Amino acid sequence: MFKQGKKSKTDLKLDVENDSTTDSTAVSKKTVGGKELSHGSINSSNSEKTTIGENIIIEGIVRGAGNLIIEGVMKGDVKIEKHNFEVGPKGRVEGEIRANDVVISGLLHGKVNAQGMVEITKDADFYGSIKANSISIEDGAFFKGEIELGLQPHKKNDLVDKQINKTGSKGEHVSIIPPVEASKGK
Amino acid sequence: MDTNFDRSSANTYPNSDSIAYTSKTLQLIVDTFGQQRNALVLDVGIVCSENINFFARQVQRLYVCDIFTRLDQDRHKGMETKCVWRHLDYTPNSFDAINLWDLVEHIDDSEAKKLTEICRIMLKRDGLLFITDFEKKTVPHEVSSFVIGNDFRLSLRPQTNLHLPWYYRHNRALISLFTPFSVVKSFRYRNGIREFLFQQE
Repeated sequence: MFKQGKKSKTDLKLDVENDSTTDSTAVSKKTVGGKELSHGSINSSNSEKTTIGENIIIEGIVRGAGNLIIEGVMKGDVKIEKHNFEVGPKGRVEGEIRANDVVISGLLHGKVNAQGMVEITKDADFYGSIKANSISIEDGAFFKGEIELGLQPHKKNDLVDKQINKTGSKGEHVSIIPPVEASKGK
Repeated sequence: MDTNFDRSSANTYPNSDSIAYTSKTLQLIVDTFGQQRNALVLDVGIVCSENINFFARQVQRLYVCDIFTRLDQDRHKGMETKCVWRHLDYTPNSFDAINLWDLVEHIDDSEAKKLTEICRIMLKRDGLLFITDFEKKTVPHEVSSFVIGNDFRLSLRPQTNLHLPWYYRHNRALISLFTPFSVVKSFRYRNGIREFLFQQE
């Protein structure tokens, strides 16, 4: 699915921002260039972000307590329920994402389960399913998927029946073409 | 049957950015969903945040597959229109409603009939098909998304990145493309927009 080829072992380079002493986001399993690296860790401050750089490929499950940005390639699941997840413009992700807020500017194929909102920018390419509290998609985004949001209580619009049963009674519409007439054309 | 639009005959219609109207068909669809909250709906229209939020909060699950963008992309690659239907690879009898918006006016009769057949297969029994269509346009090749606002108010937002042909059809020609369906309602508005609600028989 990903066009970018696998990188060699020398490609292992974790771009860590704010690698302060507070928390660590555990990477239970990741491989770079086909070699598995177990129990690796990406340091991050609790409220700060961890960025996986363009030259990094991760395969496996990422769990943790910090915000995560993917600028490289990620194949696997991300479980950071109370923190935010972002796919950068050059990022490519395939897997299931569980996070608070999710921003997609690159390619994401998979499932997104967000407790907060999902934002998809115009340069994004999304294929999969989204469950979220709210969603925002910019015009121009490449999107194919299914979306589940919280349902709104349905309010039956009484005007509808009145308007539909009374030709030209409300609004701006000029006429209601009965099916028979419509089928006759102009 | 279909003909390309003659620009000179469109002078009496406003520009797309000034078109806004209250959609009766949209109201009908939402009322139908109100009685059927587990509805599954497919929207093949241009990706539009307002519409996605609107429908996703009305139904159990909203499926979105932007055919307009894919059609434009395929055209740039020199691919035939028929290739775009590969994206509508949903299982039969999946949906309670499909929103085609004005997709049909950007494809010729032959492809429109293929689309109709695909919709027939994807829709459940009694499923609804929602279509909008321009009777006239001031800028024939301008592609716009229909944006749902408050109180079923629809406005147009030009999509300058999309370049698709436009095919004008009279009512009879348009309806004849959807012979597998029955017409539930059709509306004509002063601004030159027509709406059709078809139902799977």
